[in-house]
Order: sequence, then C-alpha cells, then structure tokens
Amino acid sequence: MKKTVTRLTSIGLALSMIGGFTACTGQQSAPTESTSMTTIPSQIETSATTTEKELPYKFGLGETFHANEPTTYTMFFSDASWYPMIDKWKTEGIFKEIENRTNVHLDIKSYDSGDYMNNITLDINAGKSAYIIPKIYDDTAFVDGGAIVPISDYVQYMPYYTDFYNKYNLSKDIQTITRANGKYYKLPGMKEGNLINYTFMIRKDIWDKAGVDVVELEKTWTWGDLLEALKKVKAYMVEQGMCKEKDYIWSDLWCGNESGKGSGGNLLGVMGATYDVNAGWNIGNGMRYNPAADEFQFSPVSDNFKEFLKAANAFVEAGILDPETFTQDDATATAQYFNGKTAIMSVNQSQFASFEGDMVKQLGEGKFENYCITLPMGSTKNSTVSPERLENGVMIADQALKDLGEDGFIEMLRFVDWLFYSHEAYELTKWGVEGVHYEVDADGYKHLKEGFCCSGLGYGNTPDNTLTDIRFEWGYAGGNFWYGGTIAEMEDNLVPKVQDYVHRDLEYREVPPLAPGIAPTSDQYEKINLIATPLISNVNTWVLKFVTGQADVEKQWDEYVASCEELNYKGLVDLYAQIYQK
Amino acid sequence: MSVNEENKPHIPVANPKNRIKESTGYKVFTVFNTIIMIFVAAVTLYPFLYLVSQSFTSEQAIIAGHTGLIPKDFSIDTYVYVITRNDHEFLRYYLNTILYTVVGTVGSLFFSSILAYPMSKTHLRINKILSPFIIFTMYFGGGLIANYILIVNLGLKNTMGGFILPMLISTYYVILMRSFFMSLPKELEEAGEMDGLNKFGVFLKISIPLSKPIMATMTLFYAVMYWNNWFNAMLYLQDKNKWPVAYFLQTIIRGASASEADAQQVSANIKSCAMVLTVLPIICVYPFIQKYYVQGMMLGGVKE
Repeated sequence: MKKTVTRLTSIGLALSMIGGFTACTGQQSAPTESTSMTTIPSQIETSATTTEKELPYKFGLGETFHANEPTTYTMFFSDASWYPMIDKWKTEGIFKEIENRTNVHLDIKSYDSGDYMNNITLDINAGKSAYIIPKIYDDTAFVDGGAIVPISDYVQYMPYYTDFYNKYNLSKDIQTITRANGKYYKLPGMKEGNLINYTFMIRKDIWDKAGVDVVELEKTWTWGDLLEALKKVKAYMVEQGMCKEKDYIWSDLWCGNESGKGSGGNLLGVMGATYDVNAGWNIGNGMRYNPAADEFQFSPVSDNFKEFLKAANAFVEAGILDPETFTQDDATATAQYFNGKTAIMSVNQSQFASFEGDMVKQLGEGKFENYCITLPMGSTKNSTVSPERLENGVMIADQALKDLGEDGFIEMLRFVDWLFYSHEAYELTKWGVEGVHYEVDADGYKHLKEGFCCSGLGYGNTPDNTLTDIRFEWGYAGGNFWYGGTIAEMEDNLVPKVQDYVHRDLEYREVPPLAPGIAPTSDQYEKINLIATPLISNVNTWVLKFVTGQADVEKQWDEYVASCEELNYKGLVDLYAQIYQK
Repeated sequence: MSVNEENKPHIPVANPKNRIKESTGYKVFTVFNTIIMIFVAAVTLYPFLYLVSQSFTSEQAIIAGHTGLIPKDFSIDTYVYVITRNDHEFLRYYLNTILYTVVGTVGSLFFSSILAYPMSKTHLRINKILSPFIIFTMYFGGGLIANYILIVNLGLKNTMGGFILPMLISTYYVILMRSFFMSLPKELEEAGEMDGLNKFGVFLKISIPLSKPIMATMTLFYAVMYWNNWFNAMLYLQDKNKWPVAYFLQTIIRGASASEADAQQVSANIKSCAMVLTVLPIICVYPFIQKYYVQGMMLGGVKE
C-alpha cells in the first residue's frame, strides 16, 4: 500500500513538472534564431508623413505630438532616491506639462532606481510590463523572451528619430546593438558626437604654486609627465607642511570596493582607454577590436595592457597614489581632496559643480581653484574606450502592440518619438518650461530664472536653501529623459570649466574607430558569459595586485597570461572570430 | 538579648576562609576573559556609536572627514530634515511599518498556532500527509516569478496583504511551536475534555494559556521579521505611500550607483539619522526581551 502511494506521488510530481514545462512554452518563440535577416540601413526612409490618412492625432518633424482624444500609456519610471518622485510631478510638474502639450496621460509605474532593473525584469517576465520602458542600458536579458518589440521594424514611423539618425549617420553605431537576426530592440539615446565625461580634477592653485604649468603641459602630456608633475606638487606640499613625505597626494574615488566593484573603477578605466585596452569600469569581457589586424582581441593580455599596468604601478611606487584607493569608500577620497590633503581626484561632468559647491562650504569662496585636466596619453591619443555615439534607451513592450493594434501602436510610437527625440521635449524634460523656469539669453545660452536652482544642471542652492530646485519640486532634469542629443544640447548645462575641458578634449585627443557590430545568438551569448565571468574576475584580481605592487609586472606577467589561458581566453577570441566572420 | 533575637532562625554565615580558593590560572583567565569581552563589546558598539555621532554631525564636517565618536558641530537639523522632508514621508513609512508589524504579527501568531497545534497531535492520520507538505516548503519555493504572478493576480500588489501574506506563516516557527505543543502534558487536555470542553475549547483554554513562553518568543520573532523586511516591499509595494521604513532605508543607503551620469549620493548624516531612527525601537525593546530570543531557540527543542 505504502509503495503504491509513493509511486502515485512520484508519478503525480513528474506529471506536474511536465505540465510546468509545457506551460513555459506559451511564450513567443525566441527571435534570435529567426531567418528573416535585415540589415541596418545607412539612411532610414521615413513613412512619417502627415498626409497618409486622416489620423486621430497630430505629429511630424517640428510638430508637437497631440492626440485628439485623451490617451493614456503606461510607462516604467526609474525613481532616484536622491531626488525622489513626489505627487506634485504628476499634478503640476513634468508629467502634467507633457499631458498639457500632447493630451497623453502617462500612467507611471515607478520603481526605486536601485531596484529598477530587477523590478521591471520581474514585471516583463510576468507579462505585466508597462508599454514604455525607459532607462535601459543592456537589453540582452529581454530580447529572447519575446516580450519586447523589435523596434527596428517600426522606426520608419518616427520622424524625429529618423531625422537624427540620418543627419548624423548613426547606422554604424546602431549596428553595435543589433542582434543576430539583424534587428534591434532598444531605441537608444543618440548623440551627435562623443563628449568626454570622466576625467580628473586638480587643485590648480597648488599646482601653480608648485611651478607646474598644467595648461601648457596637458596638450601633449603622457602619464609619465603627470607623474613628474605630481612629484613636484608633492614636494611643494611637503615643503609647505600641507602633508608629510610618507603621505599620498592622490587618493581617488570611484575605485574602491563599492564603486569600483573590484576592478579599479574609474581611474583604471580612463587610464586603460588611453592605452586602447579595456580596464577598470570599462573591462566588460575584455574583448576589443583591433582595426589594424581587423580582428577582436582579448585586450588584458596585450602589450598595451602591460604598458598600462606599468604606468599605473609607477604612481604607487613613487608614493603618489594611495593603494587604499582600490578598497576605500568614496567619502574618504572626497574628504581628503576637499581638505587639501590630496591634489587630484576623479570627476565627471555632473559632479564637478557639486564638488565645487562642497569645497566652497568647506574652504570658503576664492580659497581654491579646481581645473579638469585633459587625460594624459598612453600608447594612443584616445581619451575614451567607447566610440559609440549611443546612450541608454527605451524598449517598447509587445503588450502595447497586442493591446493597441498596429495603428494605435504607431500612434504611441510617434508620441515616444516626440518625447525622447524632439528638441522641444528635450528642453522641457531637462530645463522645464521656457519663461517659467528658464530663459534663453541673447547669445542663445539657457539660464534658470531667479528663484530656481537645480543640482542636476549644476545650479546649486544657497547655503540656507532659499531657492526652489526644479528637479526636486517638479521632476525636471531627471535621468529618465534627455539621453544624448546634439552637442549643443548636451553642452547647454555644463558649467564653464567643464565646457572648457570638453572642448580641450575634442581639440587635443582622439576617439578610437568604431568597432564593427557583433551580434551573437543567445547560445553564443551564454558561452561568452560562461567564459568571461571567471576570466574577468581573474584579470581584475591580478590587475589590482600589479597596480598596488603586490605582484611584479615584469616578473609575473607570464604567470598572469598563463592564468588567463587556463580560463580559456582563447576560446573567447575564437568565439568572437566566428561571430565576426559570419 | 531580646526574645525576638533568640527566636531568630540560625543562618550560617559563610566564612570567607572556607570558600574554594580560586587558582591563579583561573584568576588570570577571568582577567583576560574580561578584557577580551570588553574589547569585543567595544568593537561591536563602535560602529553603532559612530553612526549615532554621525547623525548629529553637520554635513560640512562629514564632508571634511571630521567624524568620530563625538559629534562635530552638534545639531539635530538632520533629524528635523529626515522627519519632515517630502511631506513627512519618513513618519508615513514608520507608521506603515508599525501597522504591518502589529497586523502581521497577530495574524502570524494566529495562523501559525492553529496550524502547529493539530500538527502536534501525532495520532491524527492527516499529519502523515500534511507535515511533509509543510516541511517541503522549507526547502523548495515556487520561484520568484510564480510568486509574483500569484500576488498580482490575487490583486494583492500595492496592498498590505501583498506585504504580509507571503510571510504570514514561517515553517520554521511552526515547527518550533509544534514541538512545544507536543511537550504539553496530554493529561491536562484529557481533563479539559472530561469537563466538557470541545477540541477548540481545549486549545483556547488549556493549550494556549500554557504556551505563553512560546507565544512570547514567536511574537518577538515575527515582529522583528516584519519590522526588518524590505524585500517584499520591493517586490509588491510599488506605491511609495505604502512602503515600510526598512525599504525606504534600503533605498537611501544604497543611493546612487556612481557610474550613473547624474548620480549623487544621499548625505552620510541623512543615512545615519534614518538608520538610527529605524533601529531605535528594536534597540529600546531588545534589552528587556533578549532572554526570550535565547530561550526561544531551545523552547520545544527538548522533549521529555
């Protein structure tokens, strides 16, 4: 009797498992193995003419999208804890203003930015997705599920998108996000050109007193020149009693365990870029295109990588760069810089103004001078590792197509087109309402009107917080909109010192050539990840040992390469070669 | 000598000379033990005291790295800011947490006990099927997506039920309760039945009053579980007005990823202040109830 019950239970369980598996096959088939290959056109022929038929909405290049009837679309929203969304954004802020102009009500499904990807993944996989899915960096996880529309099939209906795409020749950039079936699934933020974001800020007042003419030097300087300059600065600081001989004058942020994620973060990322190798934040899976050989190589075992490691280690060996940079938290690094204990620190476009504000509070106005340096040269004149002119983007849920039908879907796409690619929406979502929150001067520069500030645009508040922050109050200048744009648009909020730095970078440095698009199938993606995960972990461990001096680059380089070989970096190279040749 | 004094019972007074003499080794051990324990206590307390100090320190002083065990530029501005910002959102999260903890704990105690009690009756044949099913859930779950779909389809997303129901019954705590119920003398229940009580009456009037120790412990366990939980809020409470304070804390501590272009970290003093306010009730109550925590793990663990 007991045996019969056990057998019946086993059969029941087996049947329920089979049932479970069968239920899982209800999803649309994976698009990656599709045979309907399409190529990315160099110019998109637009189907976006207003004369095609009588439409229940108004749209077009230079026009504000406007639905005849009140319309509602659901949209995910990444809610940042440092400027959390409040109800006012919907009743009189950004969402209300969008509704006023377009007659489209956005039904927002917001998630905290830290959990945003987890939550929307859950919603998408559970079939509960919102129609519009912004702020997507990597769409890989969603492509095979069939819950996301291959948007490349529909971009011809989007006049602003096609105009930007055609005007700035973005087809090659778009190829980098194209899948094996020749389609892409994300409407990326597109940029006219690459503006440098991350670099280092220095205490120019101290550097000047130390006799280092950074403005002249930086035009052609190398990392070795930077090291010599920092030695001079340190000697001056020791002489003035600002630090002791044993102290380090470079203790960087965004490199520690938390921000740098064990890879060396920003410092090694930007330094690696100048040697044309993937490192730090930019390590990815290590694969990099070599235009001379017309092939993909595993850059962490290249000669350039060895040179990069030696250059980085030289700063630690000379007692300039604090090895704790790679383990400490960011607050420790900023505190040391703000106190004048260190003379150089990582920075990006948006943080520069914020750091300056903190230093004014700390040291007082006019007591210091910061300067963003042009990155020193490594083995190349490159200052970036990623030449793609793309930003994070928007996905559209397949549910929208099912619910709205093709005509309704195209109407929604045209709204999305206006919201994410029109100049009008760019200005609205970034600056607020012209004449109310900002004004444009005779030279065409935008300024916030009196009484307003915005931390996201580099306009700090007064010490007693008397100004209204347009970001906190109404949701303008948030991170869910205004990706990319023209150079003029991207620059319009940069503080003069940062704008000056961006221009110097454009003048003195180069952008590496665009790598050809690589479109692995889902199986190949899986294989790449299987090899890359332990391999990159190994690379990062060795890199930090080399840089901090725990391992000797000259003596142990072969040992390091052998360890990468054991983890099958050649398998990764072969896979890339296979995909590229195909 | 008075009569009273004569009648006093004779209480032998311990002669200090008769006490067992502590060996030198034991004395040395006690000294070292005390030093080590003081050290461990200091190491444990230091981060918390540092946190408290930071919450009373001004933002400028923190930026300048002037933080230690004594607050620099002492101020309660951060507390005022955290409590009042965004239309007193912190208080709203706090009240949500109190509500979820009270309702959840009461519900959990009720459902766990009515599940554990019949499970403790070994003569019930249904237990042979029921117990393995319940224990099965300790090792295998339905999976995140399946649970999520279930909660959404039940219409529980963005409701208190969505937060509480998934953790209403903890299998582990049910097993602890079952073991305790099993240790109660059968004879008392039989006596109750002889006096005319039905099964439910025996449970309510005999078993439950005798189970105060396990009920107290379970109240504590469940309450702490509800108070600290943020994961269910992340999954099922999209509406910020319904967040518990633990999830709010989680979002501001984690702050921004530095690789985001517009990232700005929430100030350290705000984080510290929110942390102190969140753990304060637990810290206030804990000294009085910690013995239950220790005892709780052993309750029902030994059967005579």
